[in-house]
Amino acid sequence: MIDRNLARGLALAATALAFGLGSLRYPVGDFAHAGPGLFPLMVSVMLLGIGVATIVRSRFVPAEPLAFSAKNIGLLLLALCGFALVSKLIDMAAGIVVMVFVASLAGTSFSWQRNLKIAAGLIGVALAFQKLLGLNLPLF
Amino acid sequence: MDVLHNLAFGFEHALTWQNLMFCAIGCVVGTLVGLLPGLGPLATISLLLPLTYSIPTGGALIMLSGIYYGAQYGDSVSAITMKIPHASSIVACIDGYQMTLKGKTGLALFTAGVSSFIGGTVAIVVLAWLAPSLGEVAFLFGPADYCALMLVGFVCVSFVTTGSLLNGLAMCLIGVLLGQIGTDVNSGMPRFTFDLPFLAEGIGLVSVALGCFGIAEITKNLDAREERTPFNGKIHLMPTWAEFKRIIPSALRGSAVGSFLGILPGGGPVIAQFAAYALDKKVSKYRDEIGTGAIEGVAGQAAADEAAARTSFIPLMSIGIPENAVMALMMAAFIIKGIQPGPNMIAGHPDLFWGLVASMWVGNCFLLLLNVPLVRYWLSVFKIPYAVLFPAILFFCCIGTYSVNNNLDDIFITSAFGLAGYLFLRLDLDPAPLMLGFILGPMLEENFRRAMLLSRGHFSTFVTRPISGTLVGLIGLFIVWQLVAFVMRSRGPAPAVPVQPAGSA
Repeated sequence: MIDRNLARGLALAATALAFGLGSLRYPVGDFAHAGPGLFPLMVSVMLLGIGVATIVRSRFVPAEPLAFSAKNIGLLLLALCGFALVSKLIDMAAGIVVMVFVASLAGTSFSWQRNLKIAAGLIGVALAFQKLLGLNLPLF
Repeated sequence: MDVLHNLAFGFEHALTWQNLMFCAIGCVVGTLVGLLPGLGPLATISLLLPLTYSIPTGGALIMLSGIYYGAQYGDSVSAITMKIPHASSIVACIDGYQMTLKGKTGLALFTAGVSSFIGGTVAIVVLAWLAPSLGEVAFLFGPADYCALMLVGFVCVSFVTTGSLLNGLAMCLIGVLLGQIGTDVNSGMPRFTFDLPFLAEGIGLVSVALGCFGIAEITKNLDAREERTPFNGKIHLMPTWAEFKRIIPSALRGSAVGSFLGILPGGGPVIAQFAAYALDKKVSKYRDEIGTGAIEGVAGQAAADEAAARTSFIPLMSIGIPENAVMALMMAAFIIKGIQPGPNMIAGHPDLFWGLVASMWVGNCFLLLLNVPLVRYWLSVFKIPYAVLFPAILFFCCIGTYSVNNNLDDIFITSAFGLAGYLFLRLDLDPAPLMLGFILGPMLEENFRRAMLLSRGHFSTFVTRPISGTLVGLIGLFIVWQLVAFVMRSRGPAPAVPVQPAGSA
């Protein structure tokens, strides 16, 4: 079991280190004449402090399990990236169809007919946006 | 009677056919989307923000604020009928849902509608009187004072939205760091861009908002595998005169509490509704009934909710500092339209400011006349199965992200923030303070660097100036209070587990 409190502290500390070490690559300067690296460095140090405090605190409070399932979020991200890629390579109408089919794998039920109906409806909405609101969508 | 004159001027702008239409669309769309499970005002505004790009400035702002208070009302409807709360309607669940169990849904919805109207009206009076005079105070603010004010905002928002100062502040700081990505304004040096050209202008606000609120929220609902049953009860709206008389005093109390708490940094609907409910429990004539489905339990909190939602525009429009995450998004909408909110806004764009104030009251009337009677039809959105709904929400996320720059690559950034948002959710970190940090981050850096330049690198400037000194003192007191409370708690018995809302946005 992964302790959620500990994982949170580690994630915060890792974010702080990533930004903090990155900001050292830029000129820091001094307080009167701050360089581009100074402010991110200060904020990262504060965040690192909070991260360390969270890690220390997790030793004193009861552990909670970290619930994490990669399936649904993975499918949704795949649907989004698929939409972007297919829209680039073919057109946005095809992208919408791909997105609906990939995303609905994450739902409780899956049906071809329903997916086709949803995709058709969404293409209709997109068409309305294009014509009525003047959005520049590469639909076909 | 300067204010009345200005309000008349504002109504001239708000009552054009075009703006009336935008206001009506905003209220209806906001109510509808606010009804949907897991979509609060924050998610609704970020989803619909891109749709306003092609609309004229005044209309866009009127529509967005319509969406905001429409979503507030929609939230309380889903809380009353089905006990599905969002952050802005947790209290509506208590007495509102009890009234539904007693078969008084219509009365509860009517009470919420009328009280919102009263709360909104009181708040608009406060807004019209206070915002211009507070704008004059804002001219006294120097860079150090702005820094201190933003820090107060961070501390308050962290505490109010998450209940844990540590987690909330961490999210604020992560937001500030994300805001650092892009080109440094002072030196022109690109920071944290990994030499990627599309990061040179920084991360898009819409990508962050849709990733953290839209996509993470959908995944949360999918993970829960909950099938919601739609509300099928009867709705009888009109109350008796005796019931109507009970609404008024409670709603007026709620309006006063809400208007006051809405102005404070970190304030807004979330804290105002709790305060109004607590006040009613203390002083109401029917205080013994509250908690078991009393009119007062719904009226006070609904009025406070609505009043605070409107007075929280005051710091944004008069000082230029948003005090909570929703206002941070509104500020982004102002900036996208080329308007910098702040002390110069009221003088520079009087038509926008007074038009917006007037349109808030018009929106109030729409909510009361349109949405309250029609709410039984709106409730049928719950008959849409989630399997149909979530691809549609995903589609709106895609279109929203794409239409900011007409760039498909932005969708990849949105997906990255979807993953980040999901991780935050699982790590029990609330993304609302992150939004505030993200939008205030660049302002904070600029003012900090300016203050340091003026004081030649001495931190004492934050303490010696009267305004920033007071604000820094407040932050210090608050942190000491939190530390003492933490030490006391870890010595004493474990506290009761707090109730978590279904949608944190």
